[in-house]
Amino acid sequence: MNKNLYQPVNGEIIEIIDESPTIKSFVVAPEDKFNFKTGQFVELTLPGEGEAPFTPSSSPAQTDKMEITIMKAGRVTALLHQCQKGQKVGIRGPYGNGYPIDDFVGKEIYIVGGGVGLAPIRSLFLTLVERIKDFKSIVCRYGAKTPADLIYKDTLFGSWQKIDGVDMKLTVDEANDGWDGNVGVVTTICKPMDVDIKNGAAVICGPPIMMKFATFKMLEFGFKPKDIYLSMEKNMSCGVGKCGHCMIGKYYVCKDGPVFTYDQLKDYPDIWD
Amino acid sequence: MKTVFINKLKPFLDAVAGWCELYIPKKAGKHYVYSKYDPAGGAVVEFNEIRVCTPVKEFLFPMHELAATFPKSFEPEDIKPFAVFGLKNCDLRSIEILDKVFEEEEFEDPFYAARRKNMFIISSDCTEVGESCFCNLFKGEGFARVGFDLNVSKVEGGFIIEAGSQKGRDFIEEHSGLFSDVQPGLLTQRDEIRDQVNKQLAQKNAEFQSDAAIRDIVENGQDSDVFDFEARNCVECQGCTRVCPTCHCFYLYDTKRKDYFAKMKMWDSCMRMAYAAVAGGANPNKVLGDRIRHRFMHKFVYFLDRYGIDMCVGCGRCVDADVSGMDLRVVLKELDKEFKDKNRKKAKAAK
Repeated sequence: MNKNLYQPVNGEIIEIIDESPTIKSFVVAPEDKFNFKTGQFVELTLPGEGEAPFTPSSSPAQTDKMEITIMKAGRVTALLHQCQKGQKVGIRGPYGNGYPIDDFVGKEIYIVGGGVGLAPIRSLFLTLVERIKDFKSIVCRYGAKTPADLIYKDTLFGSWQKIDGVDMKLTVDEANDGWDGNVGVVTTICKPMDVDIKNGAAVICGPPIMMKFATFKMLEFGFKPKDIYLSMEKNMSCGVGKCGHCMIGKYYVCKDGPVFTYDQLKDYPDIWD
Repeated sequence: MKTVFINKLKPFLDAVAGWCELYIPKKAGKHYVYSKYDPAGGAVVEFNEIRVCTPVKEFLFPMHELAATFPKSFEPEDIKPFAVFGLKNCDLRSIEILDKVFEEEEFEDPFYAARRKNMFIISSDCTEVGESCFCNLFKGEGFARVGFDLNVSKVEGGFIIEAGSQKGRDFIEEHSGLFSDVQPGLLTQRDEIRDQVNKQLAQKNAEFQSDAAIRDIVENGQDSDVFDFEARNCVECQGCTRVCPTCHCFYLYDTKRKDYFAKMKMWDSCMRMAYAAVAGGANPNKVLGDRIRHRFMHKFVYFLDRYGIDMCVGCGRCVDADVSGMDLRVVLKELDKEFKDKNRKKAKAAK
């Protein structure tokens, strides 16, 4: 008999980190070792309540536990936000393709993130940094609504700023008194001279509206559609290309994605909705 | 190939029922539905002229089933062999389509696979053409050539039973006392009946026959107004997708039981408003016309591109179920017209 692909692996929330007023990171320890590739996603079950897809924000090198950063956006995420340390959960996956790290070798990687979209990017970033010599440079542009909405603040303002070969800039849509950085949406800190476009790969993850305008910005800079990588968020439910909810045209986001090049998606309507 | 004759269905079905659970067609109004056969119950054994009203997927992928439990895990239980009598060629072709999805090597659905392996398929030839039947538009015929364990053809004075698998041949061997040899001439008669039904199918759907590939017609028409036009009368009852033997969308949800938590798997429908909505509120298919478009694109373009087979067998169940009167054939005909108009204009412009 085949393994039941709908059966989650049991796990436990062992730590909860407040990232912003609406975002928390949950450190989840699965009962068994859990391997995934950066950019792949998991289905996290709150037993008896529901299941939702998330891309782990930790490095795949860590297999005994993973971090999942979750914004309170709907029913399941609101319930997860009420959970305490010790909560039992289920994890299915990993699903999907993940980021094609090997295709990035020798390139300048231009990462554009917004809001909770930094979660998958953090995992990617940590993976890239582990073998930083393989890449020409890593340029990261990240924005949030207000300074309070920036996540991973400790590392964002701390260790990540000091890594050799990483160029990191931050922005907020609306500033307050303590903020002396850039004010404006993330595309305002994206400049064509940030990377060598011809040898570059752009990676975009964030809310749909931000992804839309960031993609257009990258095209304007001269990135080819096949060099723009998008981490798509759709209603992934089964995770294995059967239940149908996450389709974009012929693609199942859960199986063929969640990472797509803009080239794959550009002819489909409503990809940003 | 093993072919035998029997003059009555009951002893044959009794023999099947003696070996495993058997489901047979039962008249319900002007349609048939499946019901469990009880040899001792005095049930009337009927030979359904055309397909049964409900889709065969019910036997392999039930409307509602337990998919996982927590904290103790759940693996598929042993499925006992079961048999279904009266499946038509369109039903067998729908199983072929579902196999592509649920028996995909990398992600095999263990519940489907277990039932599939234990299903004994007894198909039968169509002896009539239903009002909504259009399998011939999808290269279908009124009888099955493959995909069955046993196939039953109604002929004068009885039935010809043909084995299509080792399981079927074994059954005939083991029950050889029930059957007699096929008398000369009966096979010819069977073929004549088959031809007759195929001809009727062709006649019935002559006005819908196009020389263009349906895939191209639909792909060309993806921006057509026809979907919004159809949406005007659609009441989103989702009946079309429920009775469709190839529609296989499902919904996973979690629930609480007395001593454990359960993850359930239930049929879903892409006609539902919130079908593709995400927690943040985004929904790529908010508009009903877009959902109808997606249904057509999935059936005739996306599925074909991925699996090499149309996701429609032309059984016509959706036509019967549609309270708004939408007829898939009529939509395809309209799209075909638009396709040809466009090509005509293109050709004219090129001159």
